[in-house]
Amino acid sequence: MIDNNIEKRIQALHERLIYLKDIFAGKHEDSASLLEERLESFQQRMNAAFVFDPYTDMAALEDLFSYVERRLDNTITPMDRVRIVRHPQRICLRDILENVYDNYTEVGGQDEYSLDPSMLIARAVITRHRGKKTYQQSVMVIGQEKGHGAEYRNGGSVKPWGNAKAMHYMLVAETEGIPIHTYVFTPGSYPIEDYPGAAQQIARNLYGMAGLRVPVIAVFSEGGSGGAEAISLADRRLMLSHGYYSVISPEGAAAIEGHIRPGQRATTKLIEHCASNLHITAQDNLEFGYIDRVIQEPPLGARPWHFEFFRLLRQEVIRATDEVIISTRSLPLLRGLALKRHGSPKADLENLYIRWALSGHSKKRLVDLRQKKFLGLSTSAISDNRPWHTKMWAACVDYVTQPWNSFKYDFYRKHQRKIKVIMEEVDNEWESLKNKLWAPLGKVLQKFEVKKPENYGEQLTTLSTWNHDTRIKRWKYLSPRYKIDQAVTCPNSAEYGCMDLWGPDLFGEFAGVCSYCGYHFPMEPEWVVQNVFDDGSVREFNAEIEARNPLNFPNFSERIAKAQEKNGTRSGCKTFEARIDDIRLVVAMLMGTFRGGSVGAAEGYKFMEAANFALKKRFPFLAYVHGTAGMRIQEGTHALIQMPRCTVAVRRYIEAGGLYVVLYDTNSFAGPVASFLGCSPYQFAVRSSNIGFAGPGVIKETTGIDIPPKYHRSTQALSRGHIQGIWDRRQIRTNLKQALRTIGGRNLYYR
Amino acid sequence: MDKKAQLKAEVDRLLSLPLTEHVVLVANRGEIAMRIMRACHALGIGFAAIYTASDEHSGHVRLARELGGDNCLYCVSSYHDANELMSVADNFHCTAVHPGYGFFAEDFRFARRVTKRDRPMIFIGPSWKIIRELGDKINTKRLARSLGVPTVPGSDRPIYEEVEAERIAKSLFEFQVEQGVTHPLVLVKASAGGGGMGIEEVYDPDQFRQVFRRVSNYALRQFKDEGVLIEQRVKDFNHLEVQIVSDRSGKHPVHFGTRNCSIQSSGRQKRIEVAPGFVPDTLEYNFDAAKLLTNIVDYSLAMATKVGYDNVGTWEWIVTRTGEPFLMEVNTRIQVENGVSGCIARLPDHKQVNLISEQIRLGLGEPLGYTQAEIATEGVGLEYRIIAEDPQNNFTPWVGRIDQFTWEPAPWLTLLTHVPQKESYEIPTEFDPNLALAIIWGKDLEEAKQRGLRFLDSLKLQGENAQGQELKANIGFLRDNTTNLLRF
Repeated sequence: MIDNNIEKRIQALHERLIYLKDIFAGKHEDSASLLEERLESFQQRMNAAFVFDPYTDMAALEDLFSYVERRLDNTITPMDRVRIVRHPQRICLRDILENVYDNYTEVGGQDEYSLDPSMLIARAVITRHRGKKTYQQSVMVIGQEKGHGAEYRNGGSVKPWGNAKAMHYMLVAETEGIPIHTYVFTPGSYPIEDYPGAAQQIARNLYGMAGLRVPVIAVFSEGGSGGAEAISLADRRLMLSHGYYSVISPEGAAAIEGHIRPGQRATTKLIEHCASNLHITAQDNLEFGYIDRVIQEPPLGARPWHFEFFRLLRQEVIRATDEVIISTRSLPLLRGLALKRHGSPKADLENLYIRWALSGHSKKRLVDLRQKKFLGLSTSAISDNRPWHTKMWAACVDYVTQPWNSFKYDFYRKHQRKIKVIMEEVDNEWESLKNKLWAPLGKVLQKFEVKKPENYGEQLTTLSTWNHDTRIKRWKYLSPRYKIDQAVTCPNSAEYGCMDLWGPDLFGEFAGVCSYCGYHFPMEPEWVVQNVFDDGSVREFNAEIEARNPLNFPNFSERIAKAQEKNGTRSGCKTFEARIDDIRLVVAMLMGTFRGGSVGAAEGYKFMEAANFALKKRFPFLAYVHGTAGMRIQEGTHALIQMPRCTVAVRRYIEAGGLYVVLYDTNSFAGPVASFLGCSPYQFAVRSSNIGFAGPGVIKETTGIDIPPKYHRSTQALSRGHIQGIWDRRQIRTNLKQALRTIGGRNLYYR
Repeated sequence: MDKKAQLKAEVDRLLSLPLTEHVVLVANRGEIAMRIMRACHALGIGFAAIYTASDEHSGHVRLARELGGDNCLYCVSSYHDANELMSVADNFHCTAVHPGYGFFAEDFRFARRVTKRDRPMIFIGPSWKIIRELGDKINTKRLARSLGVPTVPGSDRPIYEEVEAERIAKSLFEFQVEQGVTHPLVLVKASAGGGGMGIEEVYDPDQFRQVFRRVSNYALRQFKDEGVLIEQRVKDFNHLEVQIVSDRSGKHPVHFGTRNCSIQSSGRQKRIEVAPGFVPDTLEYNFDAAKLLTNIVDYSLAMATKVGYDNVGTWEWIVTRTGEPFLMEVNTRIQVENGVSGCIARLPDHKQVNLISEQIRLGLGEPLGYTQAEIATEGVGLEYRIIAEDPQNNFTPWVGRIDQFTWEPAPWLTLLTHVPQKESYEIPTEFDPNLALAIIWGKDLEEAKQRGLRFLDSLKLQGENAQGQELKANIGFLRDNTTNLLRF
């Protein structure tokens, strides 16, 4: 008979062995077989009752395991980390709730009986002491639950409604005034478009979190792309040392890098290559500044029996929450002292008490600090080739214009309106008084008045003046394809019987629209730039900001150079000021022709600057998405961080009373749609557009679902409620004019 | 040399070729295709013809074989597919395309494509810019007004504002009352529309706002432009036309007189055309008809000169009972009824004029070769359109097989038809059921009318449809309407 305790410990070692083998996927065979051998022999000896002192031997064996684990921990590659965080033995959110918090109640469903079992929400309590007094501090815990591999948890891949649930409870926390702790355990979001839609809901979450008036702490274990961003726009971002945080899963990156067709798989070597080149580890992200602190895990990663680790984690989340609270305090000296005390690793946080509720002023400061934190990220990942005087001007101009603008819009405009209202009232009264007084005289005068006969014939039969002949439209810019004498077949011809179109007609006069069925052929970005805005009104700015290769991703610098040459621009985002019927506006254009319109640090920076510029000038802001394939994966988290960053910029713009309009033209997918584009209340699409989170291939790959044809067409997006309208390409100008006149913004310069 | 200059050089080269080196693609069917082929043949110009499978028994296919041999024909899937026509033209090395009427005749994009493709050809018709300019009703109206040419009272630009629209409508009603119109009517049309779509009448000024909004919304949906035109609805008028002819220089257009096309079906399709437009020497009118005819001719020529009109075309007019003319539109093509003008026109060599030959000759770059003073007219010409339809029943087309189609030939009669006389003929359903044109000349109106009736009496047209019912044609309608020709 083996002692129960020993048997359990043998079992635990077995699991540790399996875990070790799994995460190294065939590497370090010798270490694994050594451990296996020792364990086997120990077990055999136990079975044969050959062991004299099982507890001592057991401890020795466990020490050996720990020793080997410690040794192998130094060899962990980025891909091993990916396997660690996905392993069923990896700690999950339930473990954290049980071990880090003192009490908790799940509110977002129960096991599989949940709107989305992969998103777990709980009200948790942390108990702290000061002297003899005990304090209960509530937090809202939100995060993805992998459930140690339980199938219904879907590996932590959250459906759109799961993210919506998360947002809902963040708002509940805001109402209750309690901090939010989010735990990121996701390989990525579940990429389906059913309402509220993967991309659109992530965008809503980002937009919402950018303005949450309670502290938010995010802890990353597996930070996969948009799914991670959906709950991680936080004041403090902590990361477990064995986790990863990446713009895309290494498999996804490999599929793109290797031009893998649906059904095929990328080679393991390519996947490993991508995993290491994407710089996805905690240390990398700490260096980039996207993570504030790394929490050290036990060797080979935390598992549910690492109770010491849970204590550390508890310390860290409390510390982070306290620090956020302290940093909102208005007295700088006290703030500094308190932060210093808290930052010390020796600080006994259990026996310190800091109220987690905030005053109105502190809430404002909290939001402002969070927004500025994100706005300031990733500046080193671009090259700013602007001449020094432009940079100087950009740096100083705020000091000059800010007071003036703030006087003009925040003070003068507001009061001007009041004065105007009063003047109108006075005027009305005066008019009616005047009429009363003049009435008797008017009657007399009327009798003497001779009515002049109008010359109708003249007016009705001679040439009238007509200044704005906009009817016969000649496009200023024609697609270069209009020069080719060729017949073009409409893709709908089988369905609608469209006749072949003559290239020069189609790409010239018809603006790329099939004259039989209205199908929109994709056009060049220049088409809109030159045909939508007033003649000669386009003035580009920040053209010198250049996309780079910040991760030194192999062979990528050449590809960027090629795209720059092909498009004649330095990045895939062109920002300019333009006019439509003399209304000035700021436009940020994502060009589908520049590496698929992917957004990297340079594009994000330019977008953000455009929003800032529009904010300062009180101009309407148009995001014209000629096309975007998502965040630029070769820039890794430098690209990914643009999601929260640009969303913050957009939120600041909208809240200042601006009008933010998004117009999708061709294929618009993934990150940008799931953040700074998708959060706009006014999104429109040209008929040629496809809008969504992931393309059909990726959906099939990740979910196994075969999606129906035309799944991402603009009409579908409209019926799902993702966009507000579909425009004909030839009507963009008219519709924009209409939009500028009728929607958005209380603080636009022309209102 | 850049592509544009190369194209222009190539077109200029084509225009200077002698006639006999040309090959014309006849991009049409039926009667007009036959007239074009005959004209080409007479001028010594080669041609290529097309037909569709359902048209293979049509007279134009037979005539093409007869005049051009077996190697001038190509079976296409549709007369409407420009891509196919271009391929056929390349196949036969055509140098020019004649669109006839209908199909691509007034399609400026087709004309543009013919002249701007990599292997350019001549489009026999006005240049594409002129087709575009005069094909737009607002443009035409504004051009006319800028030259003092009378147009239908009302707006000459699209109206978007409701207040302005109401003001115009109100003044139109009052204007008509001033003019003595008993039941004034106002027309609201979608300015970007065409082919009778998006047009509504307003009987009552109070109704106007509703109609305006409806038409304007319709126009926005249908034509992507909500502008509307507001015009007087002229009732009780005669429909007159002026035939203009010009060479490629566009500098000295001439006219070939006027036509009266007032006898129409209930769907406003012409049934009898007469040249000249009025006969003031024979009949009494309660206005100065001679002066009216001179005026509309002068107005039409003024506009043609202004735009540099460079081929044949027709200016369409409506003339009210009080003798007031209004320009309706310009047809930038040869018309069905060109034959009636041709048969009364005389050039110095005293022969009748074939306007289709003139169109081809001038279109291919030959100079006009005569002046207005050298063009004389003699007698009266009239044209019957013989159509299988039921005039009693709202001119419903009749479809079936024609077994017998004969008439008594006469020197004063030209009968144009693609219906074979020797065998029976199934009328194809996808085209309009026009069977034949009969052009009759007389030295005066009376003689032309008598000869017309004689022809109609001699005509034998029989056949039956799938149900065994007898053929229906408009012979009776034509006969009834012959009596009052040219009377207002």
